[in-house]
Amino acid sequence: MTKPLKKLALLAIASMLFATTSAVAENTLERILKEKKIRIAIDVANPPFGVLDKGGQPDGSDVAVARQLAKDLGAEVEFVQVPSTGRIPALLAGRADVTIASISVTADRAKAVMYCNPNGALTITIFGPQSVNIKVPADLVGKRIGITRATLEEATVPKMAPPGTNIVWFDDLASTVQALLSGQVDAVAMTGFAEKTVSDANPGKKIENKLLVTTAFYAPIVRPGDFELRQWINTWIFLNTKNGTLASIYKKYTGLDLPVLPTF
Amino acid sequence: MNYVFHFNVVWEHWRDLAEGAWFTIRLSALAVAMGLPIATACAYAKAAAPGPLRWAVTAYVEVIRNTPFLVQVFIIYFSLPALGIRIEANQAALAAMAVNFGAYGTEILRSGVEAIPHSQVDAARALGFSRLQVFRYVVLFQALKVVYPALASQFILLMLASSIVSAISAVELTAITNSMQSTTFRPFEFYFVAMGLYLAIALAFRVALGGLYWVVFARKRPA
Repeated sequence: MTKPLKKLALLAIASMLFATTSAVAENTLERILKEKKIRIAIDVANPPFGVLDKGGQPDGSDVAVARQLAKDLGAEVEFVQVPSTGRIPALLAGRADVTIASISVTADRAKAVMYCNPNGALTITIFGPQSVNIKVPADLVGKRIGITRATLEEATVPKMAPPGTNIVWFDDLASTVQALLSGQVDAVAMTGFAEKTVSDANPGKKIENKLLVTTAFYAPIVRPGDFELRQWINTWIFLNTKNGTLASIYKKYTGLDLPVLPTF
Repeated sequence: MNYVFHFNVVWEHWRDLAEGAWFTIRLSALAVAMGLPIATACAYAKAAAPGPLRWAVTAYVEVIRNTPFLVQVFIIYFSLPALGIRIEANQAALAAMAVNFGAYGTEILRSGVEAIPHSQVDAARALGFSRLQVFRYVVLFQALKVVYPALASQFILLMLASSIVSAISAVELTAITNSMQSTTFRPFEFYFVAMGLYLAIALAFRVALGGLYWVVFARKRPA
């Protein structure tokens, strides 16, 4: 390398270092407020929390919560659509500022991301066609049970299913549902709401509830260290619990009353 | 952003990753072992079979080569059960890969067949060889030698495309990686390592296929 070139390279490296340090100084909330834009990761293959409406636009309770949150923040919302397996990676990779995709609170996930306060609750159930005989967990032995990666069912079903249960993993909910409808699996584990959507859409399949796996609260997540953003979202959840906005969104999409939301 | 890499999580799960990699290797090798006879039969049909059979082969090759592999996998796994054919995920993956390689292999072999001087075929016919015998004893070996590099590349492409079959719950390397990253929340580490494993498998296959070429073709060069 010639001398002037070397100087130029050093200058470039120095300016890059300077650029990174100045970027670190600004926290995510400040950046959102400055740019008036928030990037929210959503999963639109997870009814009734996230779906695409007939016009192909994101809809669902998570999406409604995200829109209202962005509006109250005074920021334009940019949706980052991810599959269930991408909900945490998209956040960690910096593609989104917050993920609002009915992520149930688990201790394992809390090692990787920071939870805000819960904004809703869900159940995980095992369901399948009437012809499949599952009444107690022991009946799962020898049955093929479809579950979706990176979901609460992945974290809970393998623990409650007795040895000999044939658990089959899929990458997204649509594939898991398809596996049930095509008979590739005997039953699937999903949220109780997904069960209702699937059974309503396929009356011919005679889908019925088999087992309740767990009930859980879900909450928005932010990157580790984004305390300012987390605090703003918690404040927003507090206010919108009090004024009934969260309850009316939950009622609109799930048909159920919102349970009393705990805080932590 | 400041992300701290923790590769020790990956080493804790090396056994699962190794199993996934081994399954990817077996799946790809088996798919080619099944796909190559399909390709050979189809290449022969394209060169010598009567009209309707030749059209059927052309239709097969064009449909497979002009549709996404993921859709082919979905059709075999999700749609065939509606017709009463239910294949388990790993078999469905194998079938889709064999059918896919068969179509690409047909086109590659056909170009090899066309590269053989027609005078050789005429001479063999004049000596009383049947069409099948000409293909078997005169054309096939030479054609395979000509297109061997292309077939080897197609094999590597198929091995890389096998990552797609995780979508139907076949448990190859990508499926294992997805499960690991979603339970450990260490996506970057696991995907980096999976990338390295695919690279290693591809390079190992290239070396092995190069060796195979030498054993089968290079030594038998006519004096």
